[in-house]
Amino acid sequence: MTTVFHPLVKRFLDGELNLADLPPELHAEARAAERLLGAVDRAPVTLPAALDARVMSEVRRRASAPARRWWQRLAEPWEIRVRLRPWILGPALAAAAVLVLILARSQPPVPAVAVAAAPESVYVRFVLYAPGAHRVSVAGTFNQWDATTAPLAPAGAAGVWATTVALPVGQHQYAFLVDGRRWVNDPAAPMVDDGFGRRNSVVAVTAGAAGARAL
Amino acid sequence: MRLLAALGVTVLGVTAVAAQQPLAARLAGRVPAGVVVAVTALADSAAARGLPVDPLVEKAIEGGAKGASPERIVVAVQTVLTRLGRAQVALQAATPGVPPADAVEAGAFALSAGLQDANVQEVARACGPQCSAAEALRVAGTLTALGVPPAEAVELVRQTLRSGGKERDVLALPGRVEAEVAGGATPAQAAAGLARAAAARAAAPGQSGAPPHGRPPPRHP
Repeated sequence: MTTVFHPLVKRFLDGELNLADLPPELHAEARAAERLLGAVDRAPVTLPAALDARVMSEVRRRASAPARRWWQRLAEPWEIRVRLRPWILGPALAAAAVLVLILARSQPPVPAVAVAAAPESVYVRFVLYAPGAHRVSVAGTFNQWDATTAPLAPAGAAGVWATTVALPVGQHQYAFLVDGRRWVNDPAAPMVDDGFGRRNSVVAVTAGAAGARAL
Repeated sequence: MRLLAALGVTVLGVTAVAAQQPLAARLAGRVPAGVVVAVTALADSAAARGLPVDPLVEKAIEGGAKGASPERIVVAVQTVLTRLGRAQVALQAATPGVPPADAVEAGAFALSAGLQDANVQEVARACGPQCSAAEALRVAGTLTALGVPPAEAVELVRQTLRSGGKERDVLALPGRVEAEVAGGATPAQAAAGLARAAAARAAAPGQSGAPPHGRPPPRHP
């Protein structure tokens, strides 16, 4: 049932007018409306006793899970509004081109030491006799002189250290690092001045070789 | 119009910065900041002359890894740049056109091993279009690094090519010298003997450039 009250009665209900302000013919309607409103206000709203506890429990559970909140932020769609002026497209495209250029140029170099030899790589075995050493690695132009990437392991006989590394075809200079502080040449390889008062060993890897050979 | 010009300048500027970024990124954390600046300047100079830049970066990183002082690193990088320039000039004198970057790098390596500029020219001339100047120069440099005097190293490469030897025959030379040295010869004697043998093959028509009983190159290292 829908009751449509007179606009003046509505203003009376809103407290804008007093009963005395209304025309006499609307007094009965105003009183009826007041009674009806009073009845609604007094009608008790009864909810299950456990509902409040259940709702608060769920709220607390969700609020106490930060991972869940983060996941929701990631998983739920975001509404993003973009308003473009036509003249901004030119600079935007230029910026995008520059970004692509930067990303393309910032690609890390392909590591020289690969897990599997690429088609133009050859497995090379490095061996050093270093009795008394606790740690030996090989570093060179093939791994950006990073001594952590190619450690040698004890190989059978006492004092013999060895490792096998996939080297790209080409010529490489290298040296062994013993115990993290002493650079040692490969006595079995040709050597050249390194410019720092020491000498580098030289190894050349040729395509199709079963192993590296002194080029 | 002004806006477009400004944008163009901005994009060019950002592009120039981006072009430098990989070099600085490669050096970051590997060498002191001052070295990054110096090497970047040297790399700019190299690029302006059409020289490869990678050897400069690699030398700087090597110096950082070996704990060299910043001054020493810069000097070493400058030395590499000088050698690259010398190799480029020698190659230009020997062969027409712009020498490829790998040949310039190989020439610089040969110079570091002990060859002279004239030796680099000789090897490049002997190589001609039939082989890779880069490979021939690497071989000559490696022979010198093995102890073969530069003149003998160049002569061995030259005679091997003159006798019709293919690239694989040139690549096998250091291994053959090492084998001779293992048999008791000095590096000079080994190279001279192999050069004489190659010359004899060149004099005998119809002979292949490959040695008649060439031993396989030793595995290395």
